[in-house]
Amino acid sequence: MTCEQARIQMLGGGEGKDFAEHLASCESCRNEVSRIGTLWQSLDLLPLEEPSGKVRDRFYEMLGAYRQGLAAAETRPVRHWWTAPAWQVAAAAGLLAAGLGIGYGMRGNGQPPAEVSQLREEVANMRQLVALSLMQQQSASDRLRGVSWAYRAEPSDREVLGALVTAVNHDSNVNVRLAAVDALRRFSASPETGRAALQSLSKQTTPIVQVALIDLLVDLKNPEAAPELRRLSGNETANEGVRQRAQWALERLQ
Amino acid sequence: MNRFLIGGMMVALGALQTPAQNPVQNPAQNQNPAQMTVAFSNPSQPRKLVVKTMMHRVTIKGYDGKDAIIESSAISERRRRERNVPPGMHPLNVGGGGIEVTEANNVVTVSAESFFGGGDIQIQVPVETSVTVNTVNNGVSVENISGEIDVESVNGGVSVTNSSGAVLATSVNGKVTVALDKVAPGKAMSFSTMNGTIDVTLPADIKANLKMKVDNGDVYTDFDVKVTNDRFDTTQSNTEKGVRIRGNKTTYGTINGGGPEMQFTTFNGRVLIHKK
Repeated sequence: MTCEQARIQMLGGGEGKDFAEHLASCESCRNEVSRIGTLWQSLDLLPLEEPSGKVRDRFYEMLGAYRQGLAAAETRPVRHWWTAPAWQVAAAAGLLAAGLGIGYGMRGNGQPPAEVSQLREEVANMRQLVALSLMQQQSASDRLRGVSWAYRAEPSDREVLGALVTAVNHDSNVNVRLAAVDALRRFSASPETGRAALQSLSKQTTPIVQVALIDLLVDLKNPEAAPELRRLSGNETANEGVRQRAQWALERLQ
Repeated sequence: MNRFLIGGMMVALGALQTPAQNPVQNPAQNQNPAQMTVAFSNPSQPRKLVVKTMMHRVTIKGYDGKDAIIESSAISERRRRERNVPPGMHPLNVGGGGIEVTEANNVVTVSAESFFGGGDIQIQVPVETSVTVNTVNNGVSVENISGEIDVESVNGGVSVTNSSGAVLATSVNGKVTVALDKVAPGKAMSFSTMNGTIDVTLPADIKANLKMKVDNGDVYTDFDVKVTNDRFDTTQSNTEKGVRIRGNKTTYGTINGGGPEMQFTTFNGRVLIHKK
């Protein structure tokens, strides 16, 4: 089950083995479920709204002014049954109950995800756009900001992942490359991430970025990394710290 | 584009000048024989200085002027050689150690990418200039600059003082020292070194999110840092025993309620964050 399917399930109540399995493996969906749960609970806890005393005062003030205006023409003001406060309160309570009922009904039939998921998609698109456009800026500080926006993208967002991999491999600034390696962790569920980190390790020559990539490969438990790590640990021209790290990583991956 | 090549590259500097679209002071008229002045072609637009060198120590200072003034012993050395050219002859391109200075689209580039030579390169630029420096075997120092500062060195230390721009600084074997009077709002910064200390001084009222990654050392500060650690970099992997989620060895915190991200990364050093 993908995150998208899981989200539709969530809004319909969320049941079934597939859904439970997906939740077990996906942190962001778990967070989402608990957020939605909290929202519904707090909606249930909302007290029934009663018109406040001020509403009544204002109404009578207005009515009084109106009556004064009419006083000359009419000696006996007409009192309709619906102006009685008891009826007003009843009508307000009835409308509120109807509103809550409609809301509950919309939630119950499993259909409403349309607007909610559309909104969520728009937010995700906006974050993607910000991350992608900042990562293409001239200013390295702006590109760094783009990399931190990548943390807010969906973990399944392949475009942001692609932009991060490009940054790791080609950004001219060491600090941007370093931050991009860290941000790849957000996309660790994707098999592409491990492959990209491994390919990048063979190209990098900046020691601090090499070490960050080695740490990432260890955390991803990427067994395909062993040959490259062995080559690096035996490479006389590589930085001493990098060689030691590669050796350490080899032991961890075995 | 005006183009100057000094040191075993060109026959005569004067012959190189293209029509004075970018007014460049004739080197021969300079008071100081080791100095060269290059104008930015569009002084009202954002300026940038790019320096790339293998062997030189680079010092950049912001000053109250509008040109880039480049000073180096390599310049005077070249001029001395030019004075010794026998009549009717010209020097061949032998020997390295040259500095090349170019200007295009408001970017002044100073490069000395030869393995020979060395010594100092001192550059003065207007305070509001963005600066990018890459050095290999010597350090970089940047003073009094309010543009963005990106500095990298391999074996030298990196120092930024008395400045107020966004800073991205890195070294492999050197110390990273940064002291900022004030910071550009909303700008992300990053300081990293493999084998050195990171020593950063920030204005007392700075708002920042800190991301600190220190392998064999500690972080010291006199700021009131609220350690948050609410956002972990985690990795997930599917193993035969199930899903495995690991946290990264990173500490997160905020100063004065949080703001743009500042990242500190060192493997074999410590991090000092001072309040100014």
